[in-house]
Amino acid sequence: MKTKAIMRRALLAVSAAVVISVPASFVTVHADDSLPKVSLNADNLGPRSIEELTSKVVARDYAFAWQTMAEALEQNRPDLLDGYFTGIAKQDLAQMIADQTKTGVRVRYVDHGHKLDALFYSPAGDAMQLRDHADLEINVMDGQKVIHSEQVNLQYTVLMTPGADRWLVRDLEVAPEAKP
Amino acid sequence: MRLFVSTLLFWIAAVVPSLAAEVHPPSQVLAGAAFSMPSSGAGQGTLYLIGSAHLSKRQVNLGTDIEVDGDDVQHAGRYTVILCTDQCSASEFYVHPAGPDRLSLLVHPSRVPVSNPNAISAVAVVWDVYHNLEISPETVKFTVNPDEHTSLSEARTTNNGIAWIRLTSAAKSGVVKLQASVGKVSEIRVVQQVASDACNLRIHASSESKKIVIETDPVRDCSGNFVPDGTVVSFTMTDSAGETTVDVPIKRGVAKVEMPAHGHARITAASGVVTGNELNLAGGGE
Repeated sequence: MKTKAIMRRALLAVSAAVVISVPASFVTVHADDSLPKVSLNADNLGPRSIEELTSKVVARDYAFAWQTMAEALEQNRPDLLDGYFTGIAKQDLAQMIADQTKTGVRVRYVDHGHKLDALFYSPAGDAMQLRDHADLEINVMDGQKVIHSEQVNLQYTVLMTPGADRWLVRDLEVAPEAKP
Repeated sequence: MRLFVSTLLFWIAAVVPSLAAEVHPPSQVLAGAAFSMPSSGAGQGTLYLIGSAHLSKRQVNLGTDIEVDGDDVQHAGRYTVILCTDQCSASEFYVHPAGPDRLSLLVHPSRVPVSNPNAISAVAVVWDVYHNLEISPETVKFTVNPDEHTSLSEARTTNNGIAWIRLTSAAKSGVVKLQASVGKVSEIRVVQQVASDACNLRIHASSESKKIVIETDPVRDCSGNFVPDGTVVSFTMTDSAGETTVDVPIKRGVAKVEMPAHGHARITAASGVVTGNELNLAGGGE
């Protein structure tokens, strides 16, 4: 009788541990798998110096921005841009999605990672400019047919501004010095 | 002979796809400027023009110059042109900003204490008419107008479209206009310069029945500016009943409080990090 009770308790404990641990590990794996790799170099940043936490948050939010941009373009869903884009960047991408919807053509990004160089952090901390060396595969699809595919290293000029609880991409432009 | 024909057919099959229609855009274009690009081939093809914020698809006649409207290239950056017949061929070009035409000016803070070194920062971001970041170096002139008759200017060259400056607030409180301009474009922001912390806080007291009325002299900062109404002055009275502290906001330049009197009392006042003179009252109103 006593042995059965111990067994039952042990079983309950193991079940509880499985229930608790499985979702946590799933979320972690999912996040690692889906987010593009972003590294941030702030060695030459000025005039304001960046705190370690801010540099982590900027890199994380820029990764989320690319993830949501790729999803928004893939699914023609401008609402996905609300999370990490604002101002002219959001407006431009919404226009791109409208053009995709109108023509039936889609641009699909396969993201192989970003190396960010922080260039400017305003004295008041209300704007940050970065240069992104992006490693991308770009596929252009007309309907279900891939009409163009290329591997590119593009150089983006990025302007980010802080929002309530995250950094938002305000401007995202490919710099002409990019080497395709 | 049969081998020769087979080889020839093989080479034709291999070479023909490489002769797919092509389009040759210029390597760089100015934003919003129409241009044409020669194409090879014959018949009709489908042209795709894809930028970071623009995507279009249309039928074109091959072997002619293909016209691209200025509206299709308003956004700066990389564009891919894809021309499809049986096969697709792609080429790319860059659109450059059309020249400075807009200015974003970030000034911080909107209220600042007087005589504060490097307390005001101004950041100017230069854009073209289509809101492309103007990355070529431009001279931005920052001008401060402390009053109607005075104007101070300082020029800064943009780096990747951004120029910035730090300013020390003036000794006199009031509104200061900060202007940034590039070419014919300018933006103005207003900064309210307010008095700094109180300086030489002085109090005096008078007895009224069983109360003591304590009042400050007009509260000014070290430059002589009136400290804004609403700034809190803390009065502390220590007497036989113990210690009592009352926080009073400044109204019309002075802070005033009434406190009950219980024999001998010691009264002090403080505002922020500044403490005032000490009063020792004997007997009070009892």
